[in-house]
Amino acid sequence: MSVRNLLKGSAGPTDNDSRFLLDVHSRQLPGESTMSRYDESVEVDLVVVGAGAGGSVLAQRLARRGWRVVIIEAGPFWHPDDDWVSDEAGSHGLYWTQNRIIGGSDPIELGKNNSGRGVGGSMVHYAGYTPRFHPSDFATFSRDGVGADWPISYDDLLPHYEQVERELPVAGQNWPWGHPHSYPFSPHPVSEAAGKVWRGARARGIEMRVGPVGIVNGTFGNRPHCIYRGYCLQGCKVNAKASPYVTHLPDALAHAVEIRSGCMASRVELDERGRATGVVYLEEAGGPEHLQRAAFVAIAGYSIETPRLLLSSTSRRFPDGLGNDHDQVGRYVMVQGATQTAGRWPEELRMYKSPPPEISSEDFYETDLSRGFARGFSIQTVSPLPIGWAEHVLADGHWGAALREYMRDYNHWATVGVLNELLAQPENRVTLASQTDQYGLPVARMDYTLCDNDKANIAYSTTVTTDILKAAGAQDVLTIKRFAHLIGGARMGSSPASSVVDANQRLWGVPNLFLADGSVCPTQGSANPALTIMALASRLAARMADGSAMSDDPEARAGRPPRQVANAQE
Amino acid sequence: MLDRDKGEHLPNLRPDRRPPHPSWLPRQRRGTTPQMIGRYPDFDVLDAVDTWDPATKKVVLARLEPAGPLRFFGPEEEPALRALCDVTTAQDREPRVPVAELVDAKLADGELDGFQYADMPDDRDTWHLVLAGLDHSARDRYARSFARCTVEEQQDVVRDLSQGALSGGTWDSLNVRRAWSVCMRAILAGFYSHPWAWNEIGFGGPAYPRGYMRTGPTSVLEPFETPGATAEDAAQAVADNPEVFG
Repeated sequence: MSVRNLLKGSAGPTDNDSRFLLDVHSRQLPGESTMSRYDESVEVDLVVVGAGAGGSVLAQRLARRGWRVVIIEAGPFWHPDDDWVSDEAGSHGLYWTQNRIIGGSDPIELGKNNSGRGVGGSMVHYAGYTPRFHPSDFATFSRDGVGADWPISYDDLLPHYEQVERELPVAGQNWPWGHPHSYPFSPHPVSEAAGKVWRGARARGIEMRVGPVGIVNGTFGNRPHCIYRGYCLQGCKVNAKASPYVTHLPDALAHAVEIRSGCMASRVELDERGRATGVVYLEEAGGPEHLQRAAFVAIAGYSIETPRLLLSSTSRRFPDGLGNDHDQVGRYVMVQGATQTAGRWPEELRMYKSPPPEISSEDFYETDLSRGFARGFSIQTVSPLPIGWAEHVLADGHWGAALREYMRDYNHWATVGVLNELLAQPENRVTLASQTDQYGLPVARMDYTLCDNDKANIAYSTTVTTDILKAAGAQDVLTIKRFAHLIGGARMGSSPASSVVDANQRLWGVPNLFLADGSVCPTQGSANPALTIMALASRLAARMADGSAMSDDPEARAGRPPRQVANAQE
Repeated sequence: MLDRDKGEHLPNLRPDRRPPHPSWLPRQRRGTTPQMIGRYPDFDVLDAVDTWDPATKKVVLARLEPAGPLRFFGPEEEPALRALCDVTTAQDREPRVPVAELVDAKLADGELDGFQYADMPDDRDTWHLVLAGLDHSARDRYARSFARCTVEEQQDVVRDLSQGALSGGTWDSLNVRRAWSVCMRAILAGFYSHPWAWNEIGFGGPAYPRGYMRTGPTSVLEPFETPGATAEDAAQAVADNPEVFG
């Protein structure tokens, strides 16, 4: 446990003033009106595609080192006081709702489920869970014979996990799983609905802990305390929940970063030597192309848009898409199984109060072959609002009068979900579809098919959550099988034949192009990805700043074999 | 009378997995619910409207404005659309949440969900094909349009739709089970975005900047929320407890 974390909230992060730059009386990202504006014909030091978890952290870090940075963002520059509402259906604009094609045997629903659009990215509407990956996640192939080994290890990310946890800031109990650690803020109170789940878990000998969530619990600059209104997935109007919009972009703008919102990147431009010269983008459908020139380019569009942009960036040198000499771009994209099970009690619980993320367990995170599959899952409470609850009831086969009956019973239910680690597979991939979007650019197609290990994991975890609810005395149980999160699609690795970027997240074959988002992850564990995406961007920034990320030394590019860090349970 | 505490009203716990007739529910005494039934007869979420932020107030109160006219669906599609929305949400009389208009507005404004199954057309085309398919199946089985069928007949067709078990006509150009999910996504989002539906289910509604304070364990009721109705028979309670009720 770090000494800093023992101080619980009284020692803030260094090198990031975002919490002080925010205005207590307004949810507006400060600095928009005085934001730096770079002439696109002038070569800046870095152009980033995407103002989400990865792109924002990278921009903030390097701007502090004096880099001139422009972020190209497809979505809007939010003004939360006016644009965000305390309402499910009214939050439609927060999601990436441009068309995408989904195929395979188990197509993954996108949009509000896992895709953001706009300044702050999908963390604007994530639930708020910020667990770390386990050390084992970085070497699943050596340990368990599945997935892949990363070219970096948990140790490489550790200082960045700690730094980002202080910046969000993360509130939670001391964490006994994976690499045991503590959090900078104390855990939030637990609602009655989560209490039901907790009692059931306790009866079954399953350890649960409060958190970890990127939600302010106490004093943190001008970020207010959470008000427990439960609308985390609709954008936090309070500024209590962490997203780059409040955690990194205020500091980035104060250090001369320009965010060019409403601009759709259409391709990366290369010069005759094969170096990226900048990013071409469109301000409006049918409008002229703009080129922002830059010494370095970082793409942070996440697991679907990053591969899409690479595949769309064809040239004589890369006829099949940028960095796609070995047909690796878009492959090994992953989602997590996210089945949710709800239980019913005689008394009212009103699960819509409090943030959906409350308590979680990683007791089942690591491989236990007696369960019949490799790797595992985590357990987390969730609490759907009425439209989400209606989809849950429908998934159990009820419509018409039966659906209305279950809906009227909403206040008596508590819900627990899982995150299954689904394995990386080459045929689960992002490609370009024949359809085009409003800019005339080919849209992405995502194919997904579960393997037997995935199916066994999902089936087993559902019996565990159902058992927890029954142990807590649930009278009735409703289950919805679903998926959440995105990761992978342009993974990091030790060789261009099996990966898209090297151990420094630099594209094989283009010396000044980096990927700075979750698409680089070769595995995903059973952890929500936001914290890891930010930590990776933080590490990348440190290495770009000192030049080590640009190393052409083959061993540096291949990374080092993972050092073994013991997991708690071993 | 059904015992709410035992969950006797829950379809999965009933012998035939069918819901009870809504006549077991109390009539709404305050505010409006769909069909004036619900479990929170004295709760009106709109009583708290002064605690909502202006942006939310604008979006939510707009749903209470007179609905329509339809912009996306043509007049020939309207009867089937209304019948489908009614039967899937069990709205058999006024007051109704205007689900058809809410779905129509979403599609007319091009508010799509951000994904399209590879074996399916655009959601907007799916809706046209489903409505045509419902009429096809109804004519095939009952020799009249879907809207002119009895509610029981409509339920039979919709049950098959929900199980992907319809074929012929426009159904053959659709993955029927996915078409069901496309339609229900929009129908449920429309119905449960409406404050009347929140009254019916006792949902506390928008909560910014007010927030919630009573999350348990001593109480889960805010000062403005009211407890749900119970199975207690008021007349019987008075008769059994003369010392309390005099």
